[in-house]
Amino acid sequence: MRSTGVARWLIAVPMAILALATIYPMLYTLNIALKTRYDYVIDRGGLTTTFAFQNFVDAWTQANMGRYYLNSILVTVVSVLLILLIASMAGFALSHLTFRGSRAAFLLILAAMMIPFQVIMVPFIKTLSDFSMINTYPGLIIAYVSQFLPFTIYFMTAYFARIPKEITEAARVDGNNIYGVFGRIMLPLGRPALLSMGILNALFCWNDILISLLVMQSPSQRTLMVGVSALRGQYPDNVPTYLSGVLLVVLPLIVVYLIFQRQITAGVTAGATKG
Amino acid sequence: MKRMINSAALGLAAALTLTACGGASAGGGTGGGSGTDGGTADKLVVWNWGAADDAAAAFQEDVIATFNEQNPDVEVEVVSQPFDQYYTLLGSAIEAGTGPDVALFNGGTQLKSRAGSLVPVTDELADITGDLAGWPAFQADGETYSAPMFLQGFPIYYNKAIFEAAGLDPEAPPTTWEELGAACDTITSSTDVSCFALGNKEGLGIEFFLSGFGSGIFTAEEYDAWIDGERDWTSEHARQVLTMWSESSADGWYNEGANSTAMFNDSFDIFSGAKAAMVIGLSSGIAHWKQFDEFLGDDLGFMMPVTTNEGTTLALPIEGGIGYGVLNEDKKDLAVDWIKATVERDAQADYALAGGQIVSNTTVELDTDIASAQAIITELPGSKPLLHTSLSGDTLDLLHRLGQQLLVGEVTVDEAAAQLQASEG
Repeated sequence: MRSTGVARWLIAVPMAILALATIYPMLYTLNIALKTRYDYVIDRGGLTTTFAFQNFVDAWTQANMGRYYLNSILVTVVSVLLILLIASMAGFALSHLTFRGSRAAFLLILAAMMIPFQVIMVPFIKTLSDFSMINTYPGLIIAYVSQFLPFTIYFMTAYFARIPKEITEAARVDGNNIYGVFGRIMLPLGRPALLSMGILNALFCWNDILISLLVMQSPSQRTLMVGVSALRGQYPDNVPTYLSGVLLVVLPLIVVYLIFQRQITAGVTAGATKG
Repeated sequence: MKRMINSAALGLAAALTLTACGGASAGGGTGGGSGTDGGTADKLVVWNWGAADDAAAAFQEDVIATFNEQNPDVEVEVVSQPFDQYYTLLGSAIEAGTGPDVALFNGGTQLKSRAGSLVPVTDELADITGDLAGWPAFQADGETYSAPMFLQGFPIYYNKAIFEAAGLDPEAPPTTWEELGAACDTITSSTDVSCFALGNKEGLGIEFFLSGFGSGIFTAEEYDAWIDGERDWTSEHARQVLTMWSESSADGWYNEGANSTAMFNDSFDIFSGAKAAMVIGLSSGIAHWKQFDEFLGDDLGFMMPVTTNEGTTLALPIEGGIGYGVLNEDKKDLAVDWIKATVERDAQADYALAGGQIVSNTTVELDTDIASAQAIITELPGSKPLLHTSLSGDTLDLLHRLGQQLLVGEVTVDEAAAQLQASEG
């Protein structure tokens, strides 16, 4: 009994330290965001006494966040829906359907994951420009889908491969065509993975700066993260305002994560066990 | 099932159609100004990096108003980009043909290394040449590519209160390297602040050090040759710069901190917060006399570089700071009007005071009683260009990295000098 208590403490203490280390940057950011610039310069590490909520108002106004929130939500939601739709279909096909070239297709998708965006960004942007898709939402959505799709297909393929083929064959025997198997069997069974991939891709899209900067050059069409980044000059000046903006950007992500954390964890661990 | 998939596809198609409409209506459906279509004639797309304070915003409004006086039917679209992505983004956009019509550049290395992408405006700016100082930072191969908006220099500021607390004479700052070393020893041993502010070690420190102290290390001939591109990093005095940088760190001049890849120069805040006695600051933009004055008031002092070697001529390191370059030849006339609007006297005069700038327009008198500002103005006639901005982009990047390695002893002075010399080609 006693040894169990000691063992718990031995686990609990490092876990508590790890949890504290994880949450510390957020607390530090919040503390700085609530300081005036003067207080930040004079005493960076101390706890705030001024609670300068005006920083949040300034960040919201200077970064044009109202408009950028809408832009980010629109682009993220549409991109993630497209990614999940295509990836789930591709994952099902690659894991459960036999067709010529399926292995080559899977390897090609794997190869696509290994090409950094920086390598292809110039021809990619030039192509978008040739199709008059710079400064358009579809242009950015296509960029996100093409960038984040390979990993999602890989993940969904790995996840669906865990589902015994007997289940899909039984569904076929019961009279389902291939779409019926996908919609009635694979999608419900793949829900944890889809949710997990949805959240991760939403994070990628929401947090992206480089692709958005390249595709959306008009100030009115920028996404939120780009708007906040532009609060910084050559040398960061008003750090409290900047960090207030950062907090406003991450707030929705934290809320979404808190709501779906169980499903996210389940999806990640489930998909990681078989490739 | 088919119905479900069809509904989903229909929904996504509708969403894409809607977003496509939104994109077209909001953004005009084109990329930047220098795109393949040459942009629209009634619009000038301007890129810069954000300077989100009221004075900078007011200056930008003044510039747009001045531009629109001459071009009332032209819409100016100013796009503020994050600085840490700025040149990567600009380079990619130029290559892809989606760049802006006009873009802001740092004078020296950043502008000169991109001169091939810029449209020369030598003749177009000839009529304002006499009104402005700081042109060389915006000239390459006999052509002028921009007009300097402000003068950017690396003056050394010090905190008189800390000098006094350490028992030093606040009105007599060090004038030689030996005196500076002795002052640093006194400050670090008798106070709890560092001698020089260095903040986050992102690699910028050594360029401030090179330009800040350079005129006291190199002879006038060596200095001019360096600016003209005749550099020998293995020479006695170039190696001396690296040695001094390394030794000053080993002697504990700077506040502690790890090397970092994040660009976050916070040494200015450290100095403003009286946690360091001295800092190599800036003359315009931020970290200047006005900003430091807000925190230190009458305790703010300015000092010239110190004499390290005999036969040197001390000079304030300062040159043209930032200016707009023209990327779209089709809109050259509009772009020139924009450049001229940025150096217009009234706008510069207002911004000089409100934003703490040493402006390039020599007809503007800086009406301030901040002593360090007036001291900087006094030293302008004998000033010299910055040493680090004459380096190529590759050499400057290497200098940053080696500067970090020298701080922690990962590279010797000889190795660093050899690498820098090799990078000069």
